[in-house]
Amino acid sequence: MLAIHNLEVVYNQVVRVLGGVSLRVDAGETVALLGPNGAGKTTLLRALTGLLPIHNGVITKGRLLLEETELARKAPERIVRAGLVQVMEGRRIFTDLSVEDNLRAGAHTRRDGEVRRDLDNYFTLFPRLAERRRQQAGFLSGGEQQMLAIARALMAKPRMLLLDEPSLGLSPLLVAEVGKLIRVIQQQGIAILLVEQNAALALSLAARGYVLEGGKVVIDGPAQTLREDPDVQEFYLGGAGQRRDFRQAKHYRRKRRWLS
Amino acid sequence: MTDLVQLASSGLALGAIYALIALGFVAIYRASKVFNFAHGDLLAFGAFAMVAASGIGLPWPLALLAAMLATGLLAMGVERVILRPLVGRPVFVTVILTIFVGYLIRTAILLIWGSNPRGMPTPWEPTATVEILGAKVLLGSLAALAGAALALIAYFLLMRFAKLGLAMRAASADQESALALGIPVGRTLGLTWLIAGMLAALAGTFLGMFPRQVEVNLAFVALAAFPAVLVGGLESALGAVVAGLLLGLLQVLAQAYVNPLLGHFGHNFHMVFPYIVMIIFLIFRPYGLFGEAEVKRV
Ligand SMILES: Nc1ncnc2c1ncn2[C@@H]1O[C@H](COP(=O)(O)OP(=O)(O)O)[C@@H](O)[C@H]1O
Ligand SMILES: [Mg+2]
Repeated sequence: MLAIHNLEVVYNQVVRVLGGVSLRVDAGETVALLGPNGAGKTTLLRALTGLLPIHNGVITKGRLLLEETELARKAPERIVRAGLVQVMEGRRIFTDLSVEDNLRAGAHTRRDGEVRRDLDNYFTLFPRLAERRRQQAGFLSGGEQQMLAIARALMAKPRMLLLDEPSLGLSPLLVAEVGKLIRVIQQQGIAILLVEQNAALALSLAARGYVLEGGKVVIDGPAQTLREDPDVQEFYLGGAGQRRDFRQAKHYRRKRRWLS
Repeated sequence: MTDLVQLASSGLALGAIYALIALGFVAIYRASKVFNFAHGDLLAFGAFAMVAASGIGLPWPLALLAAMLATGLLAMGVERVILRPLVGRPVFVTVILTIFVGYLIRTAILLIWGSNPRGMPTPWEPTATVEILGAKVLLGSLAALAGAALALIAYFLLMRFAKLGLAMRAASADQESALALGIPVGRTLGLTWLIAGMLAALAGTFLGMFPRQVEVNLAFVALAAFPAVLVGGLESALGAVVAGLLLGLLQVLAQAYVNPLLGHFGHNFHMVFPYIVMIIFLIFRPYGLFGEAEVKRV
């Protein structure tokens, strides 16, 4: 489904953040992408979805194939149309739009007449969103906002979904909810690349995983193998709690304006 | 009573024009986070374009449409060529830039059309009146009110119900997030400027109809609409419209009732009056009529 060959990304013409990353996700498969803060996980997703230019980043090398479509340097709009959608880190819902308008915005690239029906489906799936469909999305709780962000991306009818730290800043109870939602998505046959700091969650959902450090893949393999790897256990399956709190404070609501 | 009806009608007509200006200004601010100080010059350009379009024999409605399109395209070009490359620069850079753009447009107007005032063409006698409640009301005033109302309704329907309007709202809420969903943010920005330019041309056309003539200084009227923008709440389209109408009304009433009380000093009091209202208002409601602190949840 998705194949990344030897991807290199440079920011501001000087900072190389990814140095030859290769990665593969098969059709309908869920793959975990783990790694510490600053490893380049978000950068990899930006390269896939055409969001690098607005961060002054460029792909200097490598190929990105979604089936037979080359994604590198394409406009975000074309990539979404090709079937690949990203849920950005920090949810990034449209806070002053209604819940329903958030979902409709997700369907922007669609031309079919089924948007209405899909909307109703999501409201059945998330009764709490349905109750608040006409309210401003900013009034939703953190967990509800994450559900909304994922549902909004699904409104584009993707073949593959990129999730950037969906459990970030959520209580354990809500993390479990997100896990449940990801399983529902898997059942629909949508492939997922799941970026997480919460390795326990990611490896319980994924078939395979990659660990990215300093812009390079350092370990990869089946989820089971990664769970048993001593390094992964030491660095990613223990003591992640504190780091997550710190990251949350730093990253949350980091909005960028680029076209103004 | 008849005095009051007369004043109210011309006040509302002026207010409707302010509303068109303020709405365009707010639309641009919401989309691009740019204070467009060239907005008045777009308005003046629109008025001259209207005179020119009628001059080549286009029937009035077509001429208006052509003038609106020309001004809209000019605004779109300004955004695309001059402002978009300055992505992420500090606000004062874009502010200074729009002042400069306004100067360029003014120079272009003088080069193309010269400095002689022109009469704004109207499909009816310029001084034609209609009787309402015993008062003679200028037909031009009614036309301005009706035209502005139509444009404002069209704008709100577009934003509320059309897919394009939703894309514009999403893009102004979070550009990157909108992009990630496949919304072509650059295009929505361009279209926002197009619409704002069209509204400015419409305002310029009506403004030129009142005894006032079409000349470059029409641009300064946009400054009088500026308080409406702040009183309405910089990000609120509805606020801009309501505040625009109110300020137009207040300004005309002040001219009739307050200026004479102030003797010599009151000669042009109504011109500063909107600013006084604005300052007092902002002290008590810093977010404007309908503005509010942004909803955020962490
Ligand atoms: N817009 C940018 N300009 C320059 N450097 C950046 C930019 N965005 C991210 N980086 C740098 O790239 C590296 C990887 O960042 P990121 O992809 O966000 O990592 P992760 O998502 O794994 O935490 C970090 O060192 C970060 O500082
Ligand atoms: Mg990240």
